[in-house]
Amino acid sequence: MAQVEKRGGLLRKSSASKKPLKEKVVLMYDEIFMTEDPSKCSPRFWEELFLMKVNLEYLEGKLESLDGEELMQMKDNVNCLFQHCIQALGEEHPIRVVNALQTLCALIRGVHQKNKSTSGFDIINMLMGFDKAELCMKNLMESLDSLLCAEGSESLKSLCLKLLLCLVTVTDNISQNTILEYVMINSIFEAILQILSHPPSRREHGYDAVVLLALLVNYRKYESVNPYIVKLSIVDDEATLNGMGLVITQALSEYNRQYKDKEEEHQSGFFSALTNMVGSMFIADAPEKISVQTNEAILLALYEAVHLNRNFITVLAQSHPEMGLVTTPVRPTPPTPVTPLGTTPPSSDVISSVELSLDADVQTSNLLIAFLKYSSIVMQDTKDEHRLHSGKLCLIILTCIAEPMRHRKKAADKNIPCRPLVCAVLDLMVEFIVTHMMKEFPMDLYVRCVQVVHKLLCYQKKCRVRLHYTWRELWSALINLLKFLMSNETVLLAKHNIFALALMIVNLFNMFITYGDTFLPTPSSYDELYYEIIRMHQSFDNLYSMVLRLSTNAGQWKEAAGKVTHALVNIRAIINHFNPKIESYAAVNHISQLSEEQVLEVVRANYDTLTLKLQDGLDQYERYSEQHKEAAFFKELVRSISTNVRRNLAFHTLSQEALLKEFSTIS
Amino acid sequence: MGDMVVEPATLKPTSDPTASPSGNNGGTLLSVITEGVGELSVIDPEVAQKACQEVLEKVKLLHGGVAISSKGTPLELVNGDGVDSEIRCLDDPPAQIREEEDEMGATVAPGTAKGARRRRQNNSAKQSWLLRLFESKLFDISMAISYLYNSKEPGVQAYIGNRLFCFRNEDVDFYLPQLLNMYIHMDEDVGDAIKPYIVHRCRQSINFSLQCALLLGAYSSDMHISTQRHSRGTKLRKLILSDELKPAHRKRELPSLSPAPDTGLSPSKRTHQRSKSDATASISLSSNLKRTASNPKVENEDEELSSSTESIDNSFSSPVRLAPEREFIKSLMAIGKRLATLPTKEQKTQRLISELSLLNHKLPARVWLPTAGFDHHVVRVPHTQAVVLNSKDKAPYLIYVEVLECENFDTTSVPARIPENRIRSTRSVENLPECGITHEQRAGSFSTVPNYDNDDEAWSVDDIGELQVELPEVHTNSCDNISQFSVDSITSQESKEPVFIAAGDIRRRLSEQLAHTPTAFKRDPEDPSAVALKEPWQEKVRRIREGSPYGHLPNWRLLSVIVKCGDDLRQELLAFQVLKQLQSIWEQERVPLWIKPYKILVISADSGMIEPVVNAVSIHQVKKQSQLSLLDYFLQEHGSYTTEAFLSAQRNFVQSCAGYCLVCYLLQVKDRHNGNILLDAEGHIIHIDFGFILSSSPRNLGFETSAFKLTTEFVDVMGGLNGDMFNYYKMLMLQGLIAARKHMDKVVQIVEIMQQGSQLPCFHGSSTIRNLKERFHMSMTEEQLQLLVEQMVDGSMRSITTKLYDGFQYLTNGIM
Repeated sequence: MAQVEKRGGLLRKSSASKKPLKEKVVLMYDEIFMTEDPSKCSPRFWEELFLMKVNLEYLEGKLESLDGEELMQMKDNVNCLFQHCIQALGEEHPIRVVNALQTLCALIRGVHQKNKSTSGFDIINMLMGFDKAELCMKNLMESLDSLLCAEGSESLKSLCLKLLLCLVTVTDNISQNTILEYVMINSIFEAILQILSHPPSRREHGYDAVVLLALLVNYRKYESVNPYIVKLSIVDDEATLNGMGLVITQALSEYNRQYKDKEEEHQSGFFSALTNMVGSMFIADAPEKISVQTNEAILLALYEAVHLNRNFITVLAQSHPEMGLVTTPVRPTPPTPVTPLGTTPPSSDVISSVELSLDADVQTSNLLIAFLKYSSIVMQDTKDEHRLHSGKLCLIILTCIAEPMRHRKKAADKNIPCRPLVCAVLDLMVEFIVTHMMKEFPMDLYVRCVQVVHKLLCYQKKCRVRLHYTWRELWSALINLLKFLMSNETVLLAKHNIFALALMIVNLFNMFITYGDTFLPTPSSYDELYYEIIRMHQSFDNLYSMVLRLSTNAGQWKEAAGKVTHALVNIRAIINHFNPKIESYAAVNHISQLSEEQVLEVVRANYDTLTLKLQDGLDQYERYSEQHKEAAFFKELVRSISTNVRRNLAFHTLSQEALLKEFSTIS
Repeated sequence: MGDMVVEPATLKPTSDPTASPSGNNGGTLLSVITEGVGELSVIDPEVAQKACQEVLEKVKLLHGGVAISSKGTPLELVNGDGVDSEIRCLDDPPAQIREEEDEMGATVAPGTAKGARRRRQNNSAKQSWLLRLFESKLFDISMAISYLYNSKEPGVQAYIGNRLFCFRNEDVDFYLPQLLNMYIHMDEDVGDAIKPYIVHRCRQSINFSLQCALLLGAYSSDMHISTQRHSRGTKLRKLILSDELKPAHRKRELPSLSPAPDTGLSPSKRTHQRSKSDATASISLSSNLKRTASNPKVENEDEELSSSTESIDNSFSSPVRLAPEREFIKSLMAIGKRLATLPTKEQKTQRLISELSLLNHKLPARVWLPTAGFDHHVVRVPHTQAVVLNSKDKAPYLIYVEVLECENFDTTSVPARIPENRIRSTRSVENLPECGITHEQRAGSFSTVPNYDNDDEAWSVDDIGELQVELPEVHTNSCDNISQFSVDSITSQESKEPVFIAAGDIRRRLSEQLAHTPTAFKRDPEDPSAVALKEPWQEKVRRIREGSPYGHLPNWRLLSVIVKCGDDLRQELLAFQVLKQLQSIWEQERVPLWIKPYKILVISADSGMIEPVVNAVSIHQVKKQSQLSLLDYFLQEHGSYTTEAFLSAQRNFVQSCAGYCLVCYLLQVKDRHNGNILLDAEGHIIHIDFGFILSSSPRNLGFETSAFKLTTEFVDVMGGLNGDMFNYYKMLMLQGLIAARKHMDKVVQIVEIMQQGSQLPCFHGSSTIRNLKERFHMSMTEEQLQLLVEQMVDGSMRSITTKLYDGFQYLTNGIM
């Protein structure tokens, strides 16, 4: 902005006197901010206005300086300006369109600035006037829609999206932005989808489009029928969904890349070899925290896509050679855009039009991988509030992904070259469990994490998926977590119900014990489970005595602890069954310390005399429900995203100079 | 021979324009043929007949009209009975044949040899012998090809060119490489004789057109570049690719030309349907992904669009009907080229999967796999199943291809695309709250807030129910119920007696269930294909079908193909033909030798496709994965020595071994390491990779001097040197050799014709054919042959070079 004005000033100086003259456009603005109709004396006033370069700073500043009362006095003129802006959007000459779009932005932002507390209706009245608002907004939305869908200039489209983002984020609480009602009625959903499904436009505007969609979906999502929610939930066009996935992947990968770069800066060579996401977890111990601004907006978009659209799950695991475009942006190609998936001229080679980068690191990526990497980075450090939220959102998304019905595709993809992505998810969960046992215990995240594991197990049990996964790591992580809960009983009990978490952990073991035959990879892995339980029997014994103590007291935790007592029945049975056998084996063979192989031998020999109790509902879980549990979280999240987007909205990045150049060739 | 005298009258009506059914047109059509540029006009049986007449006329004139013989059947002008009967009536061989006969005698059938002697005394008798041969039932396509190749007489060549129309398409197809190679590299007369047939068939079948175009390109490539451009082969190729040979106009022109019942004449019944679907093809491949909304109507847009243009189909029909297929092939080749640049197998595999998933977006389209034996459209490439094959510097890869079988490729329309995500919304749009209505409500008053539970709606419970039904896992309700019944029956009640289960049962079920799964190979990043190839084909088909959105269609089929880029498959094709010929010889002679020729599609001189042998893995992979000797592997896979399964696997092994030993000997197949020998699920061995045959051998290190590869491991599987099966093996070889010898000409001919104009390494030197003939040992008695077989087996057994070569391969390529 400053630049713009400075430039304007310079021009003046060279041409005219020393006394700073006002730009013509500023004079015209001043005329608008009178009570009189500016077109009275000059009938071509409005026509001329949109030929002038917009002085955003002045316009916005002027509006901000006025309070509601003052604004109401010149309401007619403001309304008139608004209307003429919309009219200008239909003009043939792109300069007028650009100016109109920028003026609208300034108007909307300016009017809101001083009137934060004013009700949405009053703002609508100020901007458009009640009587004309509906028609006005209808025209605006239609114009934007056609601009976005037309084969027009990319910078124009970009400006349209910026205007929409500006409109959507103008209030802190998106649901209080009453103007959005009109955006609900006059949907631009199809335009957004079209942007996402066309590779050239997706490359240019994909990010804005996805963020806009994510925000729109969150408008009064719990109170009313938001058509964007409805529409998003039924999208099944592959190109569109892939496009959306691609945009999200690119944004997440970009974050991951930045993080990696920073990390490499920080540790010259020491951890440089750590490329896999599990490895990157350990960096939490590194002396200095490496923080890159997290990107909640894109995460929210991912969440909404996964949560609302069940077709989107197929996009998650789809590998995209086009990912290569992340590192080699092909921005300046508007004249003959190559369309990898779209309309290739029949004569040209189908595939060669997509020149893929040969970077091995990039090309193998898919959305889920990018997301897991991102999650692992975010979860490293959950100390500050912001990252805690980001991590929570990651876990919520994982929870949604882990709901069994959504696994169908992943199961079918079992034969992907390396190991299934589920293993990566499990790895991530194990790492999280191991690395977050701290005083500021993130109970909520732990519960989610264990839930994710539980859901994955339920799915595997149901569909008989035998993952070749080293479950032992999970078991020992869970046992360690139990130990941590017990040793910090007093501290933790003051804040959290640790028995709920303990119950979940114990029930995970019960899943393995009772249903292990349906999803364990080998018979020996079942033996190992028993070995692990027997080896760590002290922990279970301690847990049992703790919950027994609390459940017999008539305290606050009686019921919760009681449940854990019940859940421990099989684990205790195993311990009580095998321990004497092992002791006698040791006695008979005169061995003081049995080796693992020997213990396993005892275990194998004594299965048949062990009876277990069948527990109910081990493979049942509460389905994820946003509205009942997470509404407050999302409200807050959307608020912060809105603020962020608003702050980052850079109109001036789209300098008029560039636009002028572009349009001078067109007209 | 009384019937020798020709009655000019019989010929006259045919040469008379007015009498011919296509009379008015006869002149132009004829000229077209003689010029050898049939591009612009239609070649149909009538034309062929005309051409035939023309040739005969010419010959008759040359020889004063005396020598033409007719077997006495006057020419009948049958129109209604279709191609065959029409042409069959024309088999009057020209007089010139007598000169040819002496040369030919030896190569025909043994029976004619006697005739040749007699013919020396009686010219007219000679002539009738050849004529009789041509007319006899014994005269098959193999002989026709042989005469076409050996005869220097245009009349004979033209006659045979016409006789081609009488053979079954499949029979001629087998010799297509020979025909085209002759067309390219031999003199004009042969070319002229062959062309009408080729053009005719191209009109009939798009697949034939493609094969011709590809082969013409590949076999022209050895010519000098300057001559190549103007060669006949290149011209014909251009003609085919320009698509002027499509039968679209036929329908329109015919009625005006000849009102005769043409149902039989028409190469195939075509309707406007074809062009309609052509139009669809061009759309579906080029602008496929334009769909934007999630509206199912959009998906059918292509279809509707094209059907509306049906009336103007000819103007609208795709300019080049081969374009989608060529594009498809090109894409596959491009992938291969790019894979070759990646260093590791794992990267290659991942890249391959990504590339294929991209390719998938363009399917279904009017494309097909030329290696398949039935008409179909390719609908999907299950990209995650594709694997990169073992190769040192190139990147051949194997893909599976889902196709929908159809009755006729041309007339059936391209199947509509079904999106990958089959998790269909069970809630249809109608069930959703009507957005339009709520808009108005909103507009009316902002305050109305219908407390509408969006979240529950989005994931409502009945959705889950329906989805569970859709889950493909068959086991869910089959295997054991014990570990699950708790959920179903007791969940609700806790008051009931507790249910107890035995830990031992859980453990037992686990090991039992795992025991049922068939032995699979472990995943090896260095050898990604091993796992994919080991999986039984039926199992793979079932699995892929389950995962495919098209799997529910009854005409769904799975095909597979190996894409080779950077390899010359012309030798492979030659080997395929020889193998196929030997196979049919052995079948005809009832020798139970087993070989498996696999189909080859030559795309150019350095690319092609191979039909993979299903249910087979290389012996190298077997040994590496199982870490067992071959015999132990047999025992593991098929059961102990006395079981039925083992014995039949052993028999299969012996029969295939004997078959391939003969093949290796006759064709001098080299580079026989364990990576090039497959073992199938029934115990057969299958040799692959015929890159070194006849006169070429790898690196000239003097390795592999033995007649064929026979290791002690092989002998062990056969039951040892003194076993019955080993004797059986030697006996089979003897029988096979005797049978092959009997039909030597049929084998040699295939190779000989392909030598024409070829720069292939297998034809290196001048004695390739002579050596090949010598290996049939025509002069030996059967006793001598038996001795020869003994010697060869003995030699190979003791051959140190075979062992050495395996060691060499292990050192250089890591092949066990």
